Amino acid sequence: MSFTVNLRDVTLKYGDSDALADVDLTLEAGKIYGLLGRNGAGKTSLLSLIAAFRKPTTGQILVGGEPVWENAPIVSRVALIREGGDFDDSDYVKAAIETGQIRPGFDTDYAYKLADRFELPLKKRVRELSRGKRSTLAAVCGLAARAELTMFDEVHLGMDAPTRDAFYKELLAEYMDRQHTVILSTHLIDEVANYLEEVVIVDRGRILRHEDVETFQGMGATLTGQADAVDAVAAGLEVLAEQRLGGTKSVTVATRLDAPTRERAAAAGIEIGPVGLQDLFIHLTEPGKNGA
Amino acid sequence: MAALANLQLPTRRYALGVSLPGEALKYFRYWILAAVAISFLGPLALSRYNDIDLSTWFYTANVAKWFTAFIGGGFLAVLVPNMIAVGLTRRELSVSMGIFGLLWSLSLGAVVFAGIALERAYYHAMGWSQGIDANDVVAPIGSWSETLGFAAVYPLVYLVYFTAGALIGAASYRWEGTGWLLLVPVIPIVFSLDNALYNTEPFGPGWAGFLGGFIDDWGRGVVLAGIALVLAGLALATHRILTDIPLRSKKA
Amino acid sequence: MFDDGAPIYRQIADQIKAEIMNGSLEPGGKVMSTNQYAAFYQINPATAQKAFRELVDEGVLYKQRGVGMFVADDARDKLAADFRDRFFERVLAPLVREARQAGIPLTDIIDYLRASHDAGGAVDQTEKGALQ
Repeated sequence: MSFTVNLRDVTLKYGDSDALADVDLTLEAGKIYGLLGRNGAGKTSLLSLIAAFRKPTTGQILVGGEPVWENAPIVSRVALIREGGDFDDSDYVKAAIETGQIRPGFDTDYAYKLADRFELPLKKRVRELSRGKRSTLAAVCGLAARAELTMFDEVHLGMDAPTRDAFYKELLAEYMDRQHTVILSTHLIDEVANYLEEVVIVDRGRILRHEDVETFQGMGATLTGQADAVDAVAAGLEVLAEQRLGGTKSVTVATRLDAPTRERAAAAGIEIGPVGLQDLFIHLTEPGKNGA
Repeated sequence: MAALANLQLPTRRYALGVSLPGEALKYFRYWILAAVAISFLGPLALSRYNDIDLSTWFYTANVAKWFTAFIGGGFLAVLVPNMIAVGLTRRELSVSMGIFGLLWSLSLGAVVFAGIALERAYYHAMGWSQGIDANDVVAPIGSWSETLGFAAVYPLVYLVYFTAGALIGAASYRWEGTGWLLLVPVIPIVFSLDNALYNTEPFGPGWAGFLGGFIDDWGRGVVLAGIALVLAGLALATHRILTDIPLRSKKA
Repeated sequence: MFDDGAPIYRQIADQIKAEIMNGSLEPGGKVMSTNQYAAFYQINPATAQKAFRELVDEGVLYKQRGVGMFVADDARDKLAADFRDRFFERVLAPLVREARQAGIPLTDIIDYLRASHDAGGAVDQTEKGALQ
């Protein structure tokens, strides 16, 4: 039984400033979500609310259909892994892992198996670990929690590329073994894009987009060709960015191109290229856009 | 915390609470052993130069109050982020801390009780006088029954210190930078009651127990009732702060 | 492994079709499971499932409840027709357009194609490459 997530009209204020404003969000159970957003956009605040690390200023947060705040049967099966993890630094790595046993569903054997695979030194103290190893320890604890809703908040920071790769692989294997809801918050979008089913973009404390990953991937296009011709085809489309080199112009549009447009572009000698998720995200959340 | 394997959701708060005194003991075992050794061997060393007329265990027991407050506050401040992050609720943690405080205070109180009783026999055998420093006058603790009565209140006293420490710990986590200011009302109240209980200044900044001068005449029963009342107030305040506590954001 | 252009599920579907065409998947043969595909390509299983659903809708694969996915008996015939359509649409249409832009007469192109075809083999390869 994996958890759904519902936020209804949620606002979170730190002092006077809104970290999140009027957020409505529904996540279905059993999917892998990507949570994208610039620094300070509200990703961490959003996850903290879903995990009941914080209380919203106003609004309602349901996980598995129930209010999450101080709900032991729910929070014991929700895991939010923050960058660097939440550990007692004076603990040994082994003890830090075993702290997870406060969750009845924690899989200690799996945790040790992962610790071995990722070469975590059980007999060292947490404070002696490098940043990368610390992140890895946090990720291992998150996987071994065997939660119904698992959230990794920038947990890849400090991990080297092979470790990240092994982590994604393990995450996918665990997911296929036991389908549950996963949220990956990250900057390295292209690296995780293939693992995702849906993408949520947070910008300035609001949900900017929430779509299937395929919708996103087919959402943008670049049109490159003679300036006049490009302008003619791009007219009426949502233009994210444009570039000029002499008489050649390239525009990035956030629109799925329909067949007639493609034909028109082809007839005018315009090259149509794809826009990566990363580029699309950068353009969509550009400062000055979306009426900040 | 290896003791936590295979626990059940409805009872995990108790299991955690029961496991914590052991954690604290393990963490501080050498300090505790040293304190016990010094309490018995110290007077033996001093007796070569001086007559012994003060109870060392009285001082040990006093230091243990601070130690207990420190454990209450320190453990809570560490447990809040770590336990909530592994899916414990604040209410559950509050219950665990209550059990921890009770068990810790009872056990430490029992150790101090035994220490003072043993010390009485030890001092008697050595021909020393077991007394305390009461307002600059050395007052012998007295007969066996007086000694046991004197020692019997320690569990309660430790529980007050533990809870006071937990309150400061919770407040310091909740209000970073200003939470410790709760020390300003808490220390005089606790010290004054402690002062009144023994008619002696508590260990540390004893002047903070100045209010004790006014309540000296209330009688032991009233002072004990006062302590129980303050204990309840501290526990309630800690629970209220704890059950509302947000986890701090990670430093970037 | 995948290029940015088409959605991944479509690329997977195309790949399975290509495997059916070149004979590495036989009609009636069992296809790997969604999870096997997901693990092999390191993709979300829902993406692999989408590819399978598309192929089932097109009648290329069929599902046997509880057993798995199998290649339809007439899959190759179906695909061959598709491939022919797509060959004209994806390969020849742009060719004609570019040739017109470059001012190359149609007869030159036909001569070239005929010569290549008579030389043998070359056209086969181009065809396969363009369609994958």
